[in-house]
Amino acid sequence: MTAPALPRHRSAALAESLVLVGRSVRLSRRDVETLVMAIALPLLMMALFVYVFGGAIETGGAYLTYVVPGIVLLCVGFGAAATAPAVADDMGRGMVDRLRSMPVAAAALVTGHVVASVARNALATGVVVAAAIAMGFRPDAEPLEWAAALGLLLLYVLALSALAAGLGALASSVQSASALTFFMLFLPYLSSAFVPTGTMPAVLRAVAEHQPITPVIETVRGLLTGAPIGSAGWAAVLWCVGLLVVSSGFAAWAYRRRTRR
Amino acid sequence: MTALALTVNDSATMLRRNLKRAVRYPGLTVIVAALPIVFLLLFVFVFGGTLGAGLGLPAGGRAEYLAYVVPGILVLAITGGAQGTAIGIAMDMTEGIIARFRTMSIARASVLTGHVVGAVIQTMVGLALVVAVALLIGFRPEANAVEWLAVIGVLGMTSFALSWLSVAMGLWTRTVEAASNVPMPLMLLPFFGSGFVPVESMPAGLRWFAEHQPFTPIIETVRGLLTGTAIGSSGLVATAWCAGIALVGYLWARRNYERRPAR
Repeated sequence: MTAPALPRHRSAALAESLVLVGRSVRLSRRDVETLVMAIALPLLMMALFVYVFGGAIETGGAYLTYVVPGIVLLCVGFGAAATAPAVADDMGRGMVDRLRSMPVAAAALVTGHVVASVARNALATGVVVAAAIAMGFRPDAEPLEWAAALGLLLLYVLALSALAAGLGALASSVQSASALTFFMLFLPYLSSAFVPTGTMPAVLRAVAEHQPITPVIETVRGLLTGAPIGSAGWAAVLWCVGLLVVSSGFAAWAYRRRTRR
Repeated sequence: MTALALTVNDSATMLRRNLKRAVRYPGLTVIVAALPIVFLLLFVFVFGGTLGAGLGLPAGGRAEYLAYVVPGILVLAITGGAQGTAIGIAMDMTEGIIARFRTMSIARASVLTGHVVGAVIQTMVGLALVVAVALLIGFRPEANAVEWLAVIGVLGMTSFALSWLSVAMGLWTRTVEAASNVPMPLMLLPFFGSGFVPVESMPAGLRWFAEHQPFTPIIETVRGLLTGTAIGSSGLVATAWCAGIALVGYLWARRNYERRPAR
């Protein structure tokens, strides 16, 4: 026997999502350790690369100016990856089952986690950029360029968070959810984040130039510091939109797969 | 048997226990080598082209950087091994085996000695793996047999000193998780030395720190032995640091071990 469909107002899904967004944001706020790590790690990497290695890296200008976009991408990758263990935790501890016993939109839980991830990353990015400015980073971007850079970062964070949510739904435990997102933390190193791709050996260079993070970094770098963007802008937008569509579909599929039992 | 002979005997038994664990869980040794190998590949192939040009040598490229960075990677591997030691002893502490040993008539310090000597052997095997990968990707040291022995000696003494320190840390913490976090600063320290870039390229304050922290003389000694750069007083300073760290670690470990209430 199937349960009779309850009459639902169209705005109900939105209201439910908002409730779960609030829940995820509160969870993030109370998990101080994860939040501090998400901010401390990029700051540490920035200090390490600028002060320790920066003097020996030649990028044709101040190394700080070169590396800040890469650090921001590293930071949001790390923050978005934290979505996976959060979703896996809900899957493993029965939160999902509880929600499914109530008339709540299926997507609301994942939406909540993804939006909380965006909020977390906005905070972490703000701190990182503020620290960079304190260290002497002087972006010459116009308001419009700032808006474009932030918009692209938002797209990127949404895409990565949806991907991480999907991986979290797929993972069998919180630990394996963290392990599945390892590539998000590692890919920025194989990009133009820290050194120009021109200095890498041919094979690595091909990988670095054709993975999604490099065009995003090049675009943000161009918007903030006036470096040439070229075709990187379109490549970045296409990668982010493509990733967002694919990972949303993947997240929905993974969520349904886990909750069908 | 004399007291000393008994202590040596019990320590050998405890060492055998630790070596057995290392043999039965080869993953533990592989982990010691895995992270440094990833860092070696990352720094040589991704950053090496740029960092090689920044070495201040007449001809700087990836090959020159590989020769430069290997000593730093080896020291990084030793600190990784130290973290494993801290975790191992914290596990012994929380799982009750040490409480069991306390009830037996064995030399008290032998548990710690067994951990330290076992950790040194395990770390040296891990270092051999790292060197093998470095040779595979084109590292060509000019050291002769005596210099290689000296390299093994310097790395062994560093590992010995850090093992005592990490045993103390492992005893000091209350949980296994904390035991894996407390040695973290130790693992970061090689980066703030001469391991990855010359100290001359660092800003003044950092450069002072890098020149006076323990890992820089150790790295410079290993580098001089392997690739023929000037060692100067680094060898002596490195020995002094290692002796000091080993002594502090030993005293701290013994104090924690005695104070720790038996459960």
